Amino acid sequence: MAADPLVLGIETSCDETGVALVRGNELLVDATASSMDEHARFGGIIPEVASRAHLESMIPTIQRALGEADVDLSQVDAVAVTAGPGLVGPLTIGSSAAKALAVGLGKPLYGVNHVIGHACVDQLVHGPFPERVMALVVSGGHSSLLLVDDVATNVTELGSTLDDAAGEAFDKVGRLLGLPYPGGPHVDRLAREGDPTAIRFPRGLTARKDQAEHAYDFSFSGLKTAVARWVENEQDAGRPLPLADVAASFAEAVVDVLTAKTIAACRAHDVDTLVIGGGFSANSQLREKAAARCAEAGIELRIPPIRYCTDNGAMIAALGSAVVRAGVAPSSLDFGVDSSMPLTTIHV
Amino acid sequence: MTVTLDLPSADATRAFAAALAGELRAGDLIILTGDLGAGKTTFTQGLGAALGVRGHVSSPTFIVAREHAAGVRADGTPGPGLVHVDAYRLGGLGELDALDLDSSLEESVTVVEWGAGLAEALTEDRLEIELVRPRGGPVDGTVDLEHPEVGNRVATVRGIGARWAGVDLGALLRTA
Repeated sequence: MAADPLVLGIETSCDETGVALVRGNELLVDATASSMDEHARFGGIIPEVASRAHLESMIPTIQRALGEADVDLSQVDAVAVTAGPGLVGPLTIGSSAAKALAVGLGKPLYGVNHVIGHACVDQLVHGPFPERVMALVVSGGHSSLLLVDDVATNVTELGSTLDDAAGEAFDKVGRLLGLPYPGGPHVDRLAREGDPTAIRFPRGLTARKDQAEHAYDFSFSGLKTAVARWVENEQDAGRPLPLADVAASFAEAVVDVLTAKTIAACRAHDVDTLVIGGGFSANSQLREKAAARCAEAGIELRIPPIRYCTDNGAMIAALGSAVVRAGVAPSSLDFGVDSSMPLTTIHV
Repeated sequence: MTVTLDLPSADATRAFAAALAGELRAGDLIILTGDLGAGKTTFTQGLGAALGVRGHVSSPTFIVAREHAAGVRADGTPGPGLVHVDAYRLGGLGELDALDLDSSLEESVTVVEWGAGLAEALTEDRLEIELVRPRGGPVDGTVDLEHPEVGNRVATVRGIGARWAGVDLGALLRTA
């Protein structure tokens, strides 16, 4: 195999069918098909609908990627695919397609971790990681703080959410405020017009007693309850809801905890590069606060453009490429997908 | 039989779950209802800890169903697995079926959040648990934002079917 193999990556953990080609840290093409519109009317992703959509989009999306990159399938050196975490049905569609391709082409197959892919994709945008980076992966399904010594072989999970993911808390508060699905972007838009200091909502797991056991863990469930009760109290008193202030103050509570804990982790582990990935990194308050706090602490902040923060094939091809170059043994063709794959598993 | 109990704190919710866990065995189904912030995740975390299941119990909303492998109960005996489902986004029983829950029902305790009206067909025997949290602020008309959990939650537990006919839920849960 050449020094920089051509890796085809397939991502299907949720509602985006992503296919990408990566050579080394160079992205040749990134093609995505989404079933988002079909889910919006249900107020959330329906696993069965997503599975069917992946099945229909898989071959057209692979063909589109190959066509745009002017690459023939026979040139592909390895196939990488999301093995978890995510929805079982969609993961199964992607891994089946990847296995079929690997067998058909006689090329090695690598099942990789979706969450670590969210961090790894930044290498395609901002170049190889330095020796040690901190990665905050925040999305509708994940909120994890990772110490990355080698993205292909050595990742340590410092903390994660004990209950709701950051994006999930946004979606649930959006529902509470009567905003359309998905609530996250709507809450963010509303928050930009509000006062983030209007209401002092609680910061989960920041009390002194939580420092020993949960220094780098997150909890957004108490915050969600506080918002719900505050809103109910205003409604019961017959006062009009200051929606923008509620949204801004809620977002401030989430973003304050995420960034404070992340910066503390960087300091404790003597890390001067922070990567933020995952769909929630599109949040404007998170970007602003992370930039301000990183500048203050002398930490270099790397956030890929939004199209590489939401689910995509590039992140999986990027991690596949890193894993192949690290000389890791390919996955067995009979590996099963794992909807709650732990972050200790970089590849299967 | 229907039992109602007060849960003054998150610890009380976990103790309630632990008391119930002592009676639970593989094949049992719990249908858990309650509004946003009622304590469904806290309850299930307490249940998972007492059953000794593997992995961290958190919100299953994103992946719809999370399976926890069986482990060892607090008393040292082998426990069942736990299947934790958020049925909020599922439109009907067909979709619940598509999650392949039936395959693990017999080996696990299954908790279905927001499952009322949807999960009953999975088995005739079930425990229905409703959690209700206080609405709005306490009596003085303000909300203590540093302590959003303050105030009594109320749990209502109803055993349905032959499985629960002979079980004295009242006696069981008085120990909580």
